[in-house]
Amino acid sequence: MATALDSAPTGTTSANDPTNIIVETRNLGKIYRDFWGRKKVHALKSLDLEVRRGEIFGLLGPNGSGKSTTIKLMLGLLFPTSGRVFVFGKDATDVSKNERIGYLPEESYLYKFLNADETLDFYGRLFDMSAEERRERSAKLIKMVKLEHARRRQLKEYSKGMTRRIGLAQALINEPEFLVLDEPTTGLDPLGTRDMKDLILRLRDEGKTILLCSHQLADVQDVCDRVAILHQGELKELGRVDSLLKMQDVTQIHASGLSEEAKGRIKKIIEESGGELQRMDNPTTTMEDLFLDIVKESEQRPGRRGGRGEN
Amino acid sequence: MRLTPEQFWTYSEWLFQHNGLRDGMILALALSILGFLVGYLVSVVNHGPVEGFLKVSQVIGQLFSVDLPKFSFRRAGAIAGLAFKESIRKKILVLIGIFIIAMMFAGWYLDQSADYPARLYISFVLTATNYLVIVLGFFVSCFSIPMDIKSRTIYTIVTKPVRPLELFLGRVLGFTAIGTLVLLLMGLLSYVFVVRGLSHTHEVETIDAAGRVGQTNVENKHSHNFTLNDEGRGTTNEAKGHRHIVRKEGDKIVVGPPVDDLTARVPIYAKKLDFTGRDGEKNEGYNVGYMSEYQKYIEGDSLSMAVWEFDGVNSKLFNDVISYDLTISAFRTYKGDIVTPVGGIIYFRSSDEKVETERESFKVKEFQVDRRSIRTKLKGFKDGQPADLDFFKDIAPDGKFQVVIRCQDRGQYLGMAAADLYLRPADLQFWWNFVKGYISIWLQMFIVICFGVMFSTFLSGPVAMIATVAAIVLGFFGFFVDQLQASTTKGGGPIESLIRVPSQLGSQIEMDLGSRTLEEAIRVIDTWILTGVAQLKSAVPNFDQLGTADFVAYGVNLFGGLLGRHLTIAFGYFILTSLVSYFFLKTREMAA
Repeated sequence: MATALDSAPTGTTSANDPTNIIVETRNLGKIYRDFWGRKKVHALKSLDLEVRRGEIFGLLGPNGSGKSTTIKLMLGLLFPTSGRVFVFGKDATDVSKNERIGYLPEESYLYKFLNADETLDFYGRLFDMSAEERRERSAKLIKMVKLEHARRRQLKEYSKGMTRRIGLAQALINEPEFLVLDEPTTGLDPLGTRDMKDLILRLRDEGKTILLCSHQLADVQDVCDRVAILHQGELKELGRVDSLLKMQDVTQIHASGLSEEAKGRIKKIIEESGGELQRMDNPTTTMEDLFLDIVKESEQRPGRRGGRGEN
Repeated sequence: MRLTPEQFWTYSEWLFQHNGLRDGMILALALSILGFLVGYLVSVVNHGPVEGFLKVSQVIGQLFSVDLPKFSFRRAGAIAGLAFKESIRKKILVLIGIFIIAMMFAGWYLDQSADYPARLYISFVLTATNYLVIVLGFFVSCFSIPMDIKSRTIYTIVTKPVRPLELFLGRVLGFTAIGTLVLLLMGLLSYVFVVRGLSHTHEVETIDAAGRVGQTNVENKHSHNFTLNDEGRGTTNEAKGHRHIVRKEGDKIVVGPPVDDLTARVPIYAKKLDFTGRDGEKNEGYNVGYMSEYQKYIEGDSLSMAVWEFDGVNSKLFNDVISYDLTISAFRTYKGDIVTPVGGIIYFRSSDEKVETERESFKVKEFQVDRRSIRTKLKGFKDGQPADLDFFKDIAPDGKFQVVIRCQDRGQYLGMAAADLYLRPADLQFWWNFVKGYISIWLQMFIVICFGVMFSTFLSGPVAMIATVAAIVLGFFGFFVDQLQASTTKGGGPIESLIRVPSQLGSQIEMDLGSRTLEEAIRVIDTWILTGVAQLKSAVPNFDQLGTADFVAYGVNLFGGLLGRHLTIAFGYFILTSLVSYFFLKTREMAA
């Protein structure tokens, strides 16, 4: 299986072309207020970011960092207090943008009294799809998420993993161009997680743009092309995953066929000793280490943005 | 049952002559302006005066430019289907079980010895159905959207291309569909319950030697007398609101099932009722001192009379006989002979008063319907000369004629209202009237669902339910608010009542708090509150008027005009609640 670290994202296109920007937030802010209009939480502060066509964009952050708020603002479930969000160049509150979006919520908020067939048929009808089209798509999606055996069972009888899978199927019912996945691997077993990640990459390869929000840092590291890390409502890091994880101040050498003595004077004598220099580059850290470093740094110096990656 | 003149306006009369359309448009305009102002104020708080105005204008603009043109019945249908399935799977049909149990117990308690058991049975089933279905309506409608918001299933709906009106209409249609199903089942059960509950027959208990006059045995706590004609056919007398057809089959006399108890009379009411005083002067009829002013009285043995003016009556409605029902009351100023009924005279005359029928004496049948008739070929007077008359040629050639009633007995009075005399062409089928009664209930349920869903678009479930209940209560008891405002009900407004009730101060006694200023201040505040409540009342449907159970129970055909009015009112409220819901769904944050 190919991973994002091995290769550049196949679908990523020029960032300068406005038609290639799927989501754009400008100075986006959100303040939650109580019934009397008093400020309760400043959930998001001046967020500027873009999600580009064909990429898998990861949104990371600890609980309460503003990830869900950002997603809800993009979907029009919340209205910004300041700034604006554009999805496909339209305001996020414009309902017509939803025709090109698929959304898998954090918990699969589905109607538990419906079975899988009814669920997909219902969401298909919300996209004004014909009965034949709905039948065809449902059958394909149920097969894709491997729920053929449970298609007639009510969702209340589903396990968490099955619920995530039917949730993903409903998000794909309209063959969306832009897919918003909130914690897609939560509740899945290792095999299910692997399948989900493969599916996400396949969807990206089919040309879909994916915004992924996850706590599973390994998942983000495996599949995302670019990530934004939020903390306390502020953007702390934004960039390509491979460059963010690159440790610039360390050089890593991979060598083979060296004698024990040669290892001691490695840098100087590799060539003199007749060994072959196979690789010499920067080592990478893990997404988990990077994430923890950023959170720690942010807590020590609030309001400052890191500068590790390239946008 | 008391019919008021406005209940028998035709649809076009109500819409145009009596300002139904104008009042509806004024209400719509007033509510639109109010809605805009409230929306603007809310928007000002969030966005400031200029942007607030733009935001509200944008919402209104989007309704006509995008949301209405792009409305999809498939999407609304999907949401309706979901609401229907949700209700079914939440076992809402248990309500039918409750209804069946209620009917089983009702069978024990409904009194067969009542004067009109049919009225009792029909009133019971219609009232029980009405309340159960209204309760069903507000329970399903008030909680659905708030539950979706709470469980966040709404996220998967509003992130699809679903427009606010589709969300509202889908819910309303879905809940109305489930209500309709429940109502259909209840209607079917009720019909069987009524027909079976009233069905009975009698055996002949005694008969005279000639085999013509006899009496039946006691069944359902009553018996009948009957008389047979030469052909061995006849009917019983009327008892408990019904008769039986009796016929001779060989040596045996067979009493048929009850007739006339389940019927739908199609009354033709007079256009107006005029009164003439004791000296022949026009007046509004005498008030004999009763609190109710429904009936007015004419004085006996004087020039006093009551004149009903009919219009648009044609011969196609009647064959040889014109049947009419009379329900008038008597008021005695002396009671020397309480047993003998008060006498009256009745006759028909042309609208120019030149042709009239012979005067017919009658005795007033108090507290019951006097079923009477005249033949279309009859004797009378033309220009004061005796003549043989054809009713539709001589008296009502253009469909207009008058019916005159006078009281014969000196010192006694006869009381009547416009609806107390009506012509009675052939009756319609009871079952169809029963269905129309259920259509009325359906309309009430529909309005409750519209209000419930509307409130649930911006309030939490329990609060939406309280708001809906408040609207229903105000709708049922709005007349009381009118009476309080018009001061025909004593005891003052809410604050004055709060003082009067614990201090046990009777409503007829002047309130004395020791300070004129305080008393006046309380009255002024009460007036404000009552004015506010009266305004609210005019914005909610008058459920009291929408109820038509009495029509069915009393065997009066539910006029198409009245049902048409109710349909129009329901549609008006549907539009109103749609717009309010649109505004709230469009402007609220679903994830807030």
